[in-house]
Amino acid sequence: MSEPLTKLFMKMASVRSAAAAGRSFLESYPVDEIIQKAKYGTQALYPFSDLDEYGRALLGADIGMRQLRRFHTLDDLVLLPPIFTPKRLEKMTELQREPYFSDVRLETAIGGFRSRMPLAMASMGSTEVAHAASPHLGKAAAEAGIPMGLGENIATVWGYAKRTKPSMPSFRQRLFAYLDAMDEPFGGVVIQQSVEDAFDELWNKIYTDPDVEPFIRKGFVAFEVKLGQGAKPGLGGETKVSGDVARSLKGKYYFPEDPEKVERDLYERHSAPGTYTESILRAQLRSLRNNFPRARIWIKAGPFRDLLPLFRVAAEERVDAVLADGKEGGTGMSPTIALKDLGLPSLACLARINEARVEGLALPFVLSGRLYDGGHVVKAVALGATACAFGRPFLVAAGVAGAKGISNFLDATEVEIRMLVSALGKYSLSDVAREDIGSLDRDLADALNVPYVYV
Amino acid sequence: MSVPPPSDALKSSYRLVRDPRFQRVLRVQAVLGSAIREYLNREGFLELLPPIIGPVSDPGIRGAKQATINFYGREYKVMSSAILYKQMMAASLGKIYFFSPNVRLEPLETAATGRHLVEFVQVDVEEAEATVENAMARAESLLSHVSDYARRELADDLAAFPRTLNGGTPPFRRLTYEEALRVLADHGREVPYGVEIPWDHEEFLSSLYVEPFFIRDYPRGARGFYDREDPARPGILRDFDLLYPEGYGEAVSGAEREYEYAKVIARLRETGENPSKYGWYLDMLREGIPPSSGFGIGIERLTRYVCGLKAVWEARPYPKVAGIYSP
Repeated sequence: MSEPLTKLFMKMASVRSAAAAGRSFLESYPVDEIIQKAKYGTQALYPFSDLDEYGRALLGADIGMRQLRRFHTLDDLVLLPPIFTPKRLEKMTELQREPYFSDVRLETAIGGFRSRMPLAMASMGSTEVAHAASPHLGKAAAEAGIPMGLGENIATVWGYAKRTKPSMPSFRQRLFAYLDAMDEPFGGVVIQQSVEDAFDELWNKIYTDPDVEPFIRKGFVAFEVKLGQGAKPGLGGETKVSGDVARSLKGKYYFPEDPEKVERDLYERHSAPGTYTESILRAQLRSLRNNFPRARIWIKAGPFRDLLPLFRVAAEERVDAVLADGKEGGTGMSPTIALKDLGLPSLACLARINEARVEGLALPFVLSGRLYDGGHVVKAVALGATACAFGRPFLVAAGVAGAKGISNFLDATEVEIRMLVSALGKYSLSDVAREDIGSLDRDLADALNVPYVYV
Repeated sequence: MSVPPPSDALKSSYRLVRDPRFQRVLRVQAVLGSAIREYLNREGFLELLPPIIGPVSDPGIRGAKQATINFYGREYKVMSSAILYKQMMAASLGKIYFFSPNVRLEPLETAATGRHLVEFVQVDVEEAEATVENAMARAESLLSHVSDYARRELADDLAAFPRTLNGGTPPFRRLTYEEALRVLADHGREVPYGVEIPWDHEEFLSSLYVEPFFIRDYPRGARGFYDREDPARPGILRDFDLLYPEGYGEAVSGAEREYEYAKVIARLRETGENPSKYGWYLDMLREGIPPSSGFGIGIERLTRYVCGLKAVWEARPYPKVAGIYSP
């Protein structure tokens, strides 16, 4: 190839790769399914399209897969409804009629909060995509009566009470988008503090804020020690910020390019992962309890190889909940190599939660990491999780129709959970157990100690 | 016991200070200050001027927030305690003390404990090469000196309150943290191990005794990073509180200090902060300082105990209580 041609080819390839990045998310993530739920709520639970509506369509299970996968996900498991259902008989006796899926009780205690279903809104941090949508996220989660996380660096980047950028909400506005819409006694907020937020004493600020005080008193506030995140375990939060924000944050974060010396539209901003040993963590958890006795204490763990020892420490220190975030969890910004090579898949995190249950650890566990439907929730609960946390589905749903989109999506997810649990002949989440799970893969069946369905 | 602060009276504290009973409290307070200085000077301690602001302050302040000021575009903290500076000065002069004004933006829940002020003064004492046992002996000898002094010099004032002051006789009773938890449990007040004794339980515990007493050996995580972990008993700190009896609660908090750089770096992570924030302090430790021990005794709480006052806001002029905007 002559030189100008090579150049042209490279140029075309580079443009294509930008488009491909966007397309790759659309292809690999069930965006369409979430959009349908956000638009139509429970109407989207059936696989009708605009062309084949009820009465004219003939439908069956989709046996295809979107793509080849490198590792197992919760989609390699199925739920196994039985024909003989003693628990359904119990429920019928209680109700004096045949039970329906609407009779399933979904209320769940998650980490000191009451939630209307075994689901939480995962912590999203300071990245613009989450921050700009935060008024919708907060309102919808609060109205649905599920807990919501507030991720790292929000106050440090966007200001605690005073906005650092006129068009963007402050931390407090994001917090009160939730608190003001709460459907008490359901829900609660879980607030993270990065190493850099700690510099500004974020938790102390919240704990001494007179407007937050009533919510702390009623037990609706948790502080979450972040030990990592699914998409980049072992790495700190990363994002890009504009020049004026970068200059105000210099000194608190690591900037590979000095915003005072190099001219850029956006600057990479790295936060530290934080250093822990078992004794540091224990002491930190105790200090937290001593300093903020009326706040709940949560831990968010990335997909680390020593999850099980961490669970033991958390149980001994009487932490209110531990969230384990699998490697396929969402992210505003993570290095490609981290997404590819760092950490345990969500299902492997769930396997460790299951081991913890077998050991008898009585801790509430929340699982997250590319979970997006009722099936994921019921499977996770069957293997020992208390609840799941979703992140990206809420952002997609907010993008479709704001807070209404999220509440439609939640309605649909709630009905999915009810249908699946009732199909198992059960009407209470706590009855859902390992017996309800089967594996489509033999190795996975062995690893999780559940039946291989083709036996 | 909950003691709601009289917010109207606090807002016009310029009137309050002319109340005869209040004037008497302030005169007693001045005498107590002299008694403390007399004792410490006699024992060879040097009084230094206290720091008011600095790049960092004590993070171990139980949920309270530090006050921040803008220092020519950089951030400075108003001292929540002068602990880091005490170590600095003990390394230089050996036996030192400050009358140190502190500000802690306390959570609103502390407004009604009767024991918390946002602005207060503590006498910060530090002695190089001293152990925790030395510091405890020093604290009890100081407190009993002050009690004796008060009974001798302030007999008329005490009679006027009226107040019978039992300052106790050293050596004071020494409970370990674990023993204190057992005493509380025996009275149906369970506190899980590792948890700081909550305010109301501390008050109850204090009401069980008629003389001041110590609680020592707090677990790691219950106190600041600078309280030394016992090398022979990991997880246990070489520290103590001295409590007033009769429900008055904490008088003194003290400890042997962590002074070895590597240990302090690891301990600092207990706050969740980046150690880089403590730059000057860590530089100092890296260059090396001697071990030391010390304690702080709050002047308002001492005054409250000596005079038998209901709450600590009766024990200083222009008191600042959490959440109340007052002169």
